[in-house]
Amino acid sequence: MAIDFNEKKYILDGAMGTMLQKAGMHSDETTTHFGQEHPDILKDIHRQYIDAGADIIYTATFGINRFKMDELDVSLVEAVRVAMDAASQAKQEAAKKGRDVKVALGLGPLGELLEPMGTLRFEDAYDAFREVVAAAEGNGADLAVIETMTDLYEVKAAVLAVKENSDLPVMVSMTFEENERTFTGVSLEAMAVTLEGLGVDAMGINCSLGPVEILPMAQKLRALTSLPVFAKPNAGLPDPATGEYDITCDQFVSKMDEYFDAGICMLGGCCGTSPEYIAGLAACRDARDEKTLSGGEAKDVGAVCQGREAAERDGDGAKEPVAGCVGHAEKPVLTTKPSGAAVIPAHTARLLKICSGTTVVCVDHVTVIGERINPTGKKRLKQALLDEDYDYILTQAIEQIDAGAEILDVNVGVPSLDDVKMLPQVIKKLQSVTDLPLQIDSSNPKAIEAALRVYNGKAIVNSVNGEDKVLAAILPLVKKYGAAVVGLTLDETGIPATAEGRFAIAEKILARATEYGIPEEDVIIDCLTLTASAQQKEANETLRAVRMVKERLGLATALGVSNISFGLPARPFINRTFLALAMESGLDLPIMNPNDEDMMASIFAYNVLKNRDENAVRYIDRYADMQIAAAGISRKGGQNAEQLPVENGMAHDIFYCIEKGMKGDTVAAVEKLLQESSEMAVVNQYLIPALDKVGRGFEKGSIFLPQMLQAATAAQAGFDVIKERLAAGDQKTVSLGQVVIATVKGDIHDIGKNIVKVIMENYGYQMIDLGRDVPKEEILAVVKEKDIRLVGLSALMTTTLGSMEETIAAIRKEAPNCRVMVGGAVLTAEYAAQIGADFYCKDAMKSVEAAQEVFDEQV
Amino acid sequence: MKINSSSPICRDRWMAALHVKGQADAQLTAQFSEAEKLLFAAASPKGVYKIMERNDVKTKGFSIEKHLEGCHKVIVMAATLGIGVDNLLRKTQVTDMAMAVVIDSGASVLIEQVCDDFEQQIRQDMLPAHMMYMTSRFSPGYGDYPLTEQSRIIGYLDAQRQIGLHVTSDSLMIPGKSITALIGIADHPVTGRLATCNECVLKEKCTLRKEGKFCGD
Repeated sequence: MAIDFNEKKYILDGAMGTMLQKAGMHSDETTTHFGQEHPDILKDIHRQYIDAGADIIYTATFGINRFKMDELDVSLVEAVRVAMDAASQAKQEAAKKGRDVKVALGLGPLGELLEPMGTLRFEDAYDAFREVVAAAEGNGADLAVIETMTDLYEVKAAVLAVKENSDLPVMVSMTFEENERTFTGVSLEAMAVTLEGLGVDAMGINCSLGPVEILPMAQKLRALTSLPVFAKPNAGLPDPATGEYDITCDQFVSKMDEYFDAGICMLGGCCGTSPEYIAGLAACRDARDEKTLSGGEAKDVGAVCQGREAAERDGDGAKEPVAGCVGHAEKPVLTTKPSGAAVIPAHTARLLKICSGTTVVCVDHVTVIGERINPTGKKRLKQALLDEDYDYILTQAIEQIDAGAEILDVNVGVPSLDDVKMLPQVIKKLQSVTDLPLQIDSSNPKAIEAALRVYNGKAIVNSVNGEDKVLAAILPLVKKYGAAVVGLTLDETGIPATAEGRFAIAEKILARATEYGIPEEDVIIDCLTLTASAQQKEANETLRAVRMVKERLGLATALGVSNISFGLPARPFINRTFLALAMESGLDLPIMNPNDEDMMASIFAYNVLKNRDENAVRYIDRYADMQIAAAGISRKGGQNAEQLPVENGMAHDIFYCIEKGMKGDTVAAVEKLLQESSEMAVVNQYLIPALDKVGRGFEKGSIFLPQMLQAATAAQAGFDVIKERLAAGDQKTVSLGQVVIATVKGDIHDIGKNIVKVIMENYGYQMIDLGRDVPKEEILAVVKEKDIRLVGLSALMTTTLGSMEETIAAIRKEAPNCRVMVGGAVLTAEYAAQIGADFYCKDAMKSVEAAQEVFDEQV
Repeated sequence: MKINSSSPICRDRWMAALHVKGQADAQLTAQFSEAEKLLFAAASPKGVYKIMERNDVKTKGFSIEKHLEGCHKVIVMAATLGIGVDNLLRKTQVTDMAMAVVIDSGASVLIEQVCDDFEQQIRQDMLPAHMMYMTSRFSPGYGDYPLTEQSRIIGYLDAQRQIGLHVTSDSLMIPGKSITALIGIADHPVTGRLATCNECVLKEKCTLRKEGKFCGD
């Protein structure tokens, strides 16, 4: 049921809400409810817009979904039918007059924010949209339009719901503020990159601002995508006293020529517009078409428009807009015009772009993919994955970001772990603390799909290889979810020894990806690094292969760099030299540890020398304050003796370091102590007593909350050293007991709960943090599954104390051996007792005491 | 609309929010500066208001009824620091809990200041044209004006579309650092009325009240 959006300039309709208000809707009523009560008015508004010239009308289903059922007196299915009938009838009446009008199923924001900002799960958002799409079936929609969106993640749920449950073409428009971001921080570029990947049919901007403010954004969006672009501006801004919008019809229409000039091929109006505006818009379009047909005074339109209109004149469908749309990021193969004033692209292929829900990384420079979230050879991370200790994983992520990684590789490959469940879970957690794009690293198609589905933005899939069955299993997923993909140059026969052999596999991967409709800029080739100590001859073959792929295929390339030096002494020398050679051969995406400053320095320097870092901005930003220490390299045997942590010329003991929140010094002190004492001795004789001392200060009021938490953070760093050692020695983690902690259902305040978590972890309790807004069933399930002896519940609002009481009752009934401690601003000791809690904890130290009581009595 | 609010976060109120007594030491002073820098970078204060007939604004409870007594119109308003602050807090809670606590309390002080600035902006917009008298702000959750009324105010203002302010089915707002409120307008001097302890939903649990203090002081 394809619609050719390039066939002509479509006129969209105008505001529905504004018209309903004019028709007598009360300020206390919702448009959805009023429309449902008066389908005749809905139909009449549609008719007015059609008469004004609208080619596409939006159904009044914008606010119908499972979260807004209280606005409806009928079922969702019935409400959708009523709204769609009104549009369909108007369409049919227009057809009698010879008008070809299309009906668009309107889908708006659900009204609940998705995780991590809100509490709505992606899967539930998908289901909510699916219900509406299913209800629309058979009611005459020609296409679907998802509009007024501010969260790209919610858009993804809606797009998937439409594409998986109907064959309707999809238009998507989002709402931007003057800073060219949506309320949730989505940029035009992130929108363009993600939606092109998801395979929508057109994208645009609606609502929030007037035609003057939206024009430059529409122009930018036009340059960022090869898809048709549309706009529906507001009639300016509303007056707080009268509610009237401040842009007149004439002012609105006078701006529209510039939109058409910019190649915006579909235009309509949002809040404050009326049929009058749409009629003006249609007249503007018709006047232009007339000029174009007469071949006379067609305006000097932009490159895109010229191309389209020329194609139209030639009778060509011009499905694909002109190649090399202005503003596309071009591959850096540029030639300079004789004047030197401007560069023009030598060829028109586009650059690889990856993005999160808000941040786009354009691979026009050597871009580091952080490799640290991969348990291979990392026992501490493996343990964290098994324990579902997400905070450790997140810390690894943030460390890499701070070190300069621009994309993070995510691999959860632990043999006993269900990666289909774990990979999407880790992706969601990472998305809650970082806006860096992610690379999904797995060979299991099911895990890859589960991760791609919940990923917000455009990811990289790592990886496919030259094997037919691997390509057939994974490339369709890459296409469907609009990702980029890493292709390894190996197949069922292994890794070819020569560059030519690897190049042949790269060619095959590219050909197969192209067959699936994956754009070539989204294919990344990894020519595979082997170890120079074992296969010395082949190190250079890798470099040659990279060069061949870059020069002959023009593809982006990736390499895991540090394998090269395995088995050789002074590995950093080999690594950084290999990295430099690889970059010069055409490496774009080194997959490496960004905490290795030597390697990072080579990359930043390379980007400067190759003119990939304009005005050396990134290099200077990173190294302006840097001082290079003399004589960094020393021969074996010449190492300095390990020094005590020193600050202001004085050595401090671990008690002082912790009390003052000195993280680095605490780590050094613990390492020193471990030379003489066992892990447990350090914990029991130093870390815990130091924390006790801080805790006593807090109780007395001589130490305040921020200071106590800083001390806890320092102690935490000390504990991490211990945990690292224990994991390395395959010993069990220090744990005095498992404690489940959660903010109860209905409450989203979690800072208090997190304070308790940090403090208790420091005392050696293994905290199972279920998060916020947690239903009692979920808490109970974990309590029973892990035979938990202590649960901590937090609630900040009076409104959620009932939920706390119910949770306690459920635990009492189903897990009578489990004790419950509660805390939160509105609780008192009396009330805690009244709702059946065992412990009332007015602060974090009290929770530690409660835990000590529970677990000591067990012993 | 964007709210112009650039004054520093009041250190006294910030210390009180953290329950820190006495003078801030060097470490806390440094934390305040750092937190304030992060907060100003993350916050994008926005507000929306609408003037409605008193009769068109549905309210629940005795406290707000008394507060708006004698008013023929009502300014319905909402303001938010934006989702950037929520994102900052989520990330900081993983990396540095101490800083997270400082930022969280600073953000609570900041949204109050932003509301004060916004209210000033509204008063300036209104006064010259209309020569009228106004009460102070009154928000759901205060006195016996229930938190559940949050969604009604957000509905009147179309605040989700206007400033990105959402409310959960449990009446909590996202972004977290947000405020909704009503201000009464009358043609004669009005002061509004603070809720009394007796009608307050928190009366059994209020720590101030136990200390013999009143939140309106």
